[in-house]
Amino acid sequence: MSRLYRLTGRFPVVVIAWRNVSRAKARSALAAAAIVIGVVAIGAIGAGGAAFKQSQFQSIQEQGATDVFVAPGIDKEPGHFDREDVKAIEETVGSAGVVATRGGEAEWVRRGDRRESVSITYMDDPRSLYTINDGAIPENWRRSIVVSNEFAQEHGLGPESRLTLALDEDTGATYRVVAVLAATQGFGSSDVYLPIEQAPAREYDQVRVRTRSVDRAESTADALRERFNDREDRLLVFELTSLVRLLKTIVNGINVFLTGLGSISLLVAGVSITNTMLMAVIKRREEIGVLRATGYGKADIVRILLVEAVILGVIGVVVGLAIAFVVASVANAIFLGDPLAFTSDSLLYLLGAAAFGILTSLIAGAYPAWRAANERPVDALRG
Amino acid sequence: MPVDDRPGDGDGNEATTGTPLISGTNVVKEYQTGGQTIRALKRIDFRIDEADSVAIVGPSGSGKSTLLNLLGLLDVPTSGEIRLRKQDVATLSDSERNRERKQTIGFVFQSYYLIPTLTALENVEMPRMLDRTPKKTRDRATELLERVGLSDRLDHAPDELSGGQKQRVAIARSLINDPELVLADEPTGNLDRDTGDQILDLFEELRAEEGVAVVMVTHDEYVAEAADRVVNLVDGTLRAPDTATRADGGHRDRE
Repeated sequence: MSRLYRLTGRFPVVVIAWRNVSRAKARSALAAAAIVIGVVAIGAIGAGGAAFKQSQFQSIQEQGATDVFVAPGIDKEPGHFDREDVKAIEETVGSAGVVATRGGEAEWVRRGDRRESVSITYMDDPRSLYTINDGAIPENWRRSIVVSNEFAQEHGLGPESRLTLALDEDTGATYRVVAVLAATQGFGSSDVYLPIEQAPAREYDQVRVRTRSVDRAESTADALRERFNDREDRLLVFELTSLVRLLKTIVNGINVFLTGLGSISLLVAGVSITNTMLMAVIKRREEIGVLRATGYGKADIVRILLVEAVILGVIGVVVGLAIAFVVASVANAIFLGDPLAFTSDSLLYLLGAAAFGILTSLIAGAYPAWRAANERPVDALRG
Repeated sequence: MPVDDRPGDGDGNEATTGTPLISGTNVVKEYQTGGQTIRALKRIDFRIDEADSVAIVGPSGSGKSTLLNLLGLLDVPTSGEIRLRKQDVATLSDSERNRERKQTIGFVFQSYYLIPTLTALENVEMPRMLDRTPKKTRDRATELLERVGLSDRLDHAPDELSGGQKQRVAIARSLINDPELVLADEPTGNLDRDTGDQILDLFEELRAEEGVAVVMVTHDEYVAEAADRVVNLVDGTLRAPDTATRADGGHRDRE
């Protein structure tokens, strides 16, 4: 007697169920395929969505979730920051880096007197917020211009290019490009950067406080609000942390909704398994009658049929998980740049899809099993 | 199976020694069909002893199958009493009847009812598969298949076997739990005469060797002749066999 036989002899119900499943191969394959679709739907949507969410948060992080943006509040008179205000903010936030900027617009006077609007950020040193891709900013930066990567690419600019910018209707001043910034997803970037000395007035309309973590950004924002916005709103303090939280809720909601839609396909799979099992039970009526006649109890019949349903479910889940895993890897590769960058969320979705698939098949098998077990052998064997 | 002419008295086995294997008193079975009550068995008495060989003969619709279901504990009578040894089967729960059936009774059917996904050997093992005694079961099943002359067909699927071979497998299956009673419903109904004769001979041999009581239901007088006792079932009542068919009145001495 082979070892395999000794092993299968320990699990006779599984052996009988497996033979029954493999008897109607096409029917079993179709029922399992329905589960595959359900598992793929839930697993791929869930895990893909998780990867998408992760990538969005990463880019938000890159856009400065560790930064606190401060603008003049509605009660601030006058409606901009001067040196003193920046100093006061600096005192409040302590050691964190404070970058004060002023936004503006100008007309770029091009050949043939064509004019094009460009956005300007006036600041002390662009390097405090951005990295330089090409060229260098001189020690004493007073007249030259720094351009953003996108702007340089679009117009074919590089170090040593020249731009004439005109405020209002004047003829404008010509600036030499000294540096091109590296590309950034950065929040609040503009086309060109000029030294604060070039601004019409030494006023700032935004202060950015750089911190090292999202938590610090939050506590810095709180400190600023407490210090300046006690009675009147002198500062408009804005940090991305709260936005991240809101976004998280929204993305999670959408993901749960989509996964819920995916679960409908598992419901369909359950109906398909019930249908398959009912047909099998009707086809095997006499056979089940013989089992009952030779001493198999109702519980034994139920067990055999439930195991059959679960076998269909397990086949579906194994194949479905494999496919969902591949789909999720592709999503990971697209969104996160690494096929194996599974987040705990996406693994949870895959696990949930598997558990749900098997549970569905179990529930789907219950009615046919109950019906077969309650058929009286007398009726089944009457022919 | 004698027609017990005495009115239903207590345990009524003065005629033979010992407790009958299975006995019935005033057994009535009714069915509800489309609002009508059909009386399939009308107050019949019967008894089957150990190693009995009985043929129940009757036309279709006479109540043969109903009686067989009652003997096989697959059904309970509407009224009257059936005793397995001394136990009133009406007092047994569903699962107890299941257990008694498994231990005491083997079934052989006209259409064999082998499970197509299992080999000959596995079909024989089937009633005992859930016992988780694979070694013992396999040894016994192999022995039984050898006994019915199929030692070279152990691993064949049912559809690779002839009708006679299938019925041999079914007979081996009915014996796997060492029952005291084998109930055979038209066991030769799907077989030609020669093959049928071989099956009947096999039943007779097994009865002699294993001491199993064999009850056959048939509408074929020829098959009935192979049994020690013949009982006619007509219209739900038992009748003494036609003297034209059986000169000895239905109760022949067993060797």
